[in-house]
Amino acid sequence: MHVVIVGNGIAGMEAALTLRQRDAEARITLVSEESDHFFSRTALMYVLCGQMCHRDIEPLERGTYERLSLERVRARVTAVDPERRVLQLSDKLPPLSYDRLLIACGSRPRPTPFWPGYGELEGIGHFVTLQDLAWLETELHLSTGHDRPPREWAHLEHTTDDSPYQRREAAATRRGTRARTPVVIGGGLIGVEVVETLLSAGLSPTFLIREDWFWPIALDERESTWIADRMRHHGVDVRLGESVQRFEGTDGRISGVLTDQGGHDADLVVIAIGVVPNTGWLEGSGIERDSSGGILVDEQLKTSAQGVWAAGDCASVRWFNGWVRPEQLWYTGRDQGRLAARAILGDEVRYARGTWYNSAKLMDIEYTTAGLVNMGVEGEASWFFEERGRVRSTTRIVHVGGRVVGFNFLGRRWDHDLCVRWIEERRPLSWVLDHLDEARFDTELVPPLRIPASARSPVASPP
Amino acid sequence: MTTYRQAWRNRGPAAWLLSATLIGSYCVLYWTSWLDPIAQGLGLRNRWFLYGLLYTVGVGGGGLLYLRRHGSSRYNRLRIMTNFGIQAIFGFTLPFVMPLLGQPEFYFSYLWPLKYDILYPHTLAGLPTYLAVYAILGATVVAPVLALSFGKRWYCSWICGCGALANTFGDPWRHLTSSSTRAWRFERLAVHTVLLVAFAATGVIAADQLLSSKSAAFSSFAYEVKQGYGFVVGALLAGVVGTGLYPLLGPRVWCRNFCPMAALLGIIQKAGRFRIRVKRDMCISCGNCTTYCEMGIDVRSYAQSNQSFTRASCVGCGMCAHVCPRGVLRLENHAPRARDKARQGLITADF
Ligand SMILES: Cc1cc2nc3c(=O)[nH]c(=O)nc-3n(C[C@H](O)[C@H](O)[C@H](O)COP(=O)(O)OP(=O)(O)OC[C@H]3O[C@@H](n4cnc5c(N)ncnc54)[C@H](O)[C@@H]3O)c2cc1C
Ligand code: SF4
Ligand code: SF4
Repeated sequence: MHVVIVGNGIAGMEAALTLRQRDAEARITLVSEESDHFFSRTALMYVLCGQMCHRDIEPLERGTYERLSLERVRARVTAVDPERRVLQLSDKLPPLSYDRLLIACGSRPRPTPFWPGYGELEGIGHFVTLQDLAWLETELHLSTGHDRPPREWAHLEHTTDDSPYQRREAAATRRGTRARTPVVIGGGLIGVEVVETLLSAGLSPTFLIREDWFWPIALDERESTWIADRMRHHGVDVRLGESVQRFEGTDGRISGVLTDQGGHDADLVVIAIGVVPNTGWLEGSGIERDSSGGILVDEQLKTSAQGVWAAGDCASVRWFNGWVRPEQLWYTGRDQGRLAARAILGDEVRYARGTWYNSAKLMDIEYTTAGLVNMGVEGEASWFFEERGRVRSTTRIVHVGGRVVGFNFLGRRWDHDLCVRWIEERRPLSWVLDHLDEARFDTELVPPLRIPASARSPVASPP
Repeated sequence: MTTYRQAWRNRGPAAWLLSATLIGSYCVLYWTSWLDPIAQGLGLRNRWFLYGLLYTVGVGGGGLLYLRRHGSSRYNRLRIMTNFGIQAIFGFTLPFVMPLLGQPEFYFSYLWPLKYDILYPHTLAGLPTYLAVYAILGATVVAPVLALSFGKRWYCSWICGCGALANTFGDPWRHLTSSSTRAWRFERLAVHTVLLVAFAATGVIAADQLLSSKSAAFSSFAYEVKQGYGFVVGALLAGVVGTGLYPLLGPRVWCRNFCPMAALLGIIQKAGRFRIRVKRDMCISCGNCTTYCEMGIDVRSYAQSNQSFTRASCVGCGMCAHVCPRGVLRLENHAPRARDKARQGLITADF
């Protein structure tokens, strides 16, 4: 059996490892346009900061592919024909046929709205792929970091125009000086990561956020204000409720961003307005996708085409609350990759997601969430506590009729596993407050969170 | 942190120069007496106190820089301040003052087998009873019991002078410690070899001294062993190589690969209660933990497979937990051992 996996990211790699663990004989081929080796996309910002080098973000030793006889092809897949079971490859490579196909082709940056100037000026880009990393390193430092990126990381010479893995010319190279007045567009996680990186490079970026506060899908106004204050404290010009209208340039390079509130000088613009499934190349293959481009899969992660599965960022799966959309997360990509491998081997599997949780770091403030937060549950109420002592933190517990349904934490570390369990056990808020300390995951010697009785008083017992 | 954008921290010319200077200085210190007059000019008894003074300055200065980089963690803060206090008091001041009060020059913070000659019968016999009892109980009871309860970190990261210098002066280079499988293999072979040799050497020398040289041949063999161990382990590996290579191979070359004390406490740690707990399914495989582990432990491989773990070489510096951007790791002293056994995850799993 020849299994071909399109994508060498977490989903594709985990699938390959699972397949090999279960089946020593199968021929397994990983096709990837972006790089020869699996790397952690989640760690791109640390390379950009100089906190890690290029090799540090490869979780597997280089010999793994040979050791496990995983074949690799470095090319862009330009088309798939599920009837004949063949893939067309770029770079004049011969077509590749398969018996089973797993598509794990990840995300690409969300298409930019109609902002005149985009696509014409140098110095505007995204931060999603290795090629984006190389571009931004050049914009910021005129070179690509301490260890030159491994040769195998370079872009392909022959790719298609719609590929997110293309090389981009840096404005800094032609200008001969590094960027000084960067603008970041889009108030989400990637945006704040880019902002942090720019700060560590000694720059004071402007951060344009269309919404009224930073990251409203995850934070409430109080939480978000703290993050924005922290950014401002470090020298970021945070602009809330400001929408981009057009880009201005001189000499073919970006020089400014015009918004509905005025203008900002810019010699570098990073657009971080989210990602969408990277599935344009499936056009015409007959494999069904939803309106966002996510590949529709059943509970076995099987697509509408015979012998084709999909996993990771590119697959639209059913969420715990019934939504059908991609889950753009590292750990779900890993789980889906493993599960798809088992489905390919014929196991009876079902992809079912448990209660939602996630974590992040916003500047130096750690964030943990679990359950239904900011999801607009009917009848929900929030219990909120702000700690301002030796530790600064916020705790928000969402409850419905006194039963806890969600947690949002900033500033301290928490064991999401226990929080999820409490949600699933439908614990009352007062019980959870009594036991909250058990879920603390702070490093040793950090003083515990003390909630004064006065802060607890509005807590009603559920009927 | 912009670690990789500073050439002196990444084997640039300045790093080589510094390494060469350190190695040269150690050679001068160990094998010449050129420094004695300078030391005496400063009112210090001999060159070893000059070394002790510089060492303390290194721990203090490096410690301040460390606090600037990692001081936001309370664990790190207290640990580094303790390191400095121990070095200043027990590594320098007390040994200097004790002889003035008619006591021997004694280093409380160094225990056998790191301080390999302290348990020789002749050494013990020359000490006042309270110090002899301290040396024996410290090595045979206190150190193992504390390692069972808290892991070897109580010694390697809080008390020991070698660890103190590594974590302060040596901290800028911690990311250079190799986390490759090859480096791990070398470590296990080397450090356990030194441990066996340390036991054997102490045994041979003790036997010779207790039997008061009934055989001239054995006596001269014991002498060779004593000189050889002192030269190779005590001077070459601990000083010249151990500290001299900080800027090139990371700050724990000695502790990781050659220190018999670390090897011994590591074995005890495996049987004890210390472990690093991993939060389930939260790791994003970013690799900060592995990069900044000064012992070259591939922490990420455990974290991404949801496996809490205890590694013999882990000195419990706490850096992996501190740098983890997703709060996945926590050092703990109360391991429910059984839970750590099964590897549930897959990446880098057991093939
Ligand atoms: C800056 C950034 C930070 C992030 N931080 C976090 C975080 O903190 N936590 C979290 O949970 N998630 C985070 N994510 C999201 C996470 O990285 C993704 O969910 C995850 O990488 C998805 O993995 P994947 O295997 O599905 O796809 P990807 O990692 O995107 O891999 C796609 C693969 O497909 C290949 N490919 C695509 N198209 C083709 C083609 N036509 N031909 C050949 N090969 C192709 C590529 O070469 C690549 O190997 C972050 C993402 C970014 C960009
Ligand atoms: S595993 Fe963590 S605590 Fe142990 S030595 Fe490495 S960084 Fe320090
Ligand atoms: S630093 Fe944390 S998130 Fe990153 S690999 Fe290590 S455990 Fe995982």
